[in-house]
Amino acid sequence: MRRANCYFAGRLVRLLMVVLPGILIGACTTARVEDVRVTSTGIEEGEGIVIMARSYHLGNETEMKFIDCVGDAISRGSGGLRVIPHDEFVDALFPWFEPRTAPSDTKGLPDLLKRPGVADTIAQKGVRYVIWLDGDTERTTGGGSLSCAVGPGGGGCFGFAWWQNDSKYEAAIWDITALESAGTISANVSGTSYLPAIVIPIPLIARTRAKACKGLADQLKMFIVTEEDA
Amino acid sequence: MTAIGGCSSQVTVDNPTIPEPLVEKIPLSVAVRYPPEFEHYIHEEKVIGKEKWTIDLGRSNQSLFTNLFRSMFDDLTVVDNSAEPGDLGVDALIEPSIDAFEFSTPSQSQTQAFAVWIRYRIKIFDREGEQFANWPISAYGKSQSTVMGGDEALERAAVLAMRDAAALIVMQMDKTTRISRLGRPSVSRVAARPEAQPPAPTNAEPVEEEPEAIVSEDTSDETG
Repeated sequence: MRRANCYFAGRLVRLLMVVLPGILIGACTTARVEDVRVTSTGIEEGEGIVIMARSYHLGNETEMKFIDCVGDAISRGSGGLRVIPHDEFVDALFPWFEPRTAPSDTKGLPDLLKRPGVADTIAQKGVRYVIWLDGDTERTTGGGSLSCAVGPGGGGCFGFAWWQNDSKYEAAIWDITALESAGTISANVSGTSYLPAIVIPIPLIARTRAKACKGLADQLKMFIVTEEDA
Repeated sequence: MTAIGGCSSQVTVDNPTIPEPLVEKIPLSVAVRYPPEFEHYIHEEKVIGKEKWTIDLGRSNQSLFTNLFRSMFDDLTVVDNSAEPGDLGVDALIEPSIDAFEFSTPSQSQTQAFAVWIRYRIKIFDREGEQFANWPISAYGKSQSTVMGGDEALERAAVLAMRDAAALIVMQMDKTTRISRLGRPSVSRVAARPEAQPPAPTNAEPVEEEPEAIVSEDTSDETG
């Protein structure tokens, strides 16, 4: 029994030794992050940002996990910004930032802030910037074939598959204090993932969404903190 | 919360939390009456070639509307289904109901999201029991499927649709149904204008210049 356990543990270790480097190394990606500054920015102590998804009523498909990823990345590290959780912000301002009711551009902000309790709640939360995220990750193309079989003596896969993912996201930065748009940042990342298999499949994954998240978060942090004129 | 058995999925929506709205209360004393099917709404549907879905909204709708109206009006009483408006001594009686429930799965929409549409109808009766407004509203919710499966995403989409309805009601109810005009005239106003009459219902479409109107316009979402 102990020998059988050792045999399976050994096989598992060998399997992980083959698969893990593939996962960790990943495949090649190309990334482009650009910003357009409209006004000067800067952030004071006690001020924070909130990251929101553009409304799905407008056809936006931005994934919640992407918004969480950008929020985490902005708040971490040296010079991390204070990020107010979007659920907390939306609940506190109900019903004014719901997918149906949220302002679609900064022109609606003055009227919104005149509504009872809205300006006070935003001030109380210490929100200086609202970041609106738009975009998603799509599998644009793919090919190859991979087949796996299991028999009494064991199993295995043989073949080769590949696919390309494009992650396109845009962040619009609204300065709530100045009631105007501070600028936009876009992140376009594309990459091809490969899955060769000779008995064991070795995934070489292009993590385009993770790369777009990091690129966008780093640029957002720099954009907001740097007191640069437009 | 969620149970999966064979080729069927069952989703139960627990009481969704709707935050206290940031709006001024409408100075009315209202009662709310729920139809029996509203208190335990279950939608069953077999997706062609796929599994059968059962979505149990349970008492979540009742909880949603009670909390919502409590936040919107000065005074709220929940009455049983047999109560008649004329006997209640309130300014208005509100009766919400569900006209339709629809959903789409990722395999149907060719996306990674579940979507839910709920079509509510809100009837408002004045203190004499006459129907004052009949307002259909369409609410929409959408949620990305997760690695945990579709049940959680479908439940979230349903909650988002209910929240969408709540936002719409908060923002549009008075503007669309003009329910605030059912308030009792103050003593000073009555003394100053003894000829003042409560608004009479009509079947006309709402017009800005005509304060008395039954509303039958659908405030619907254009998406989907």
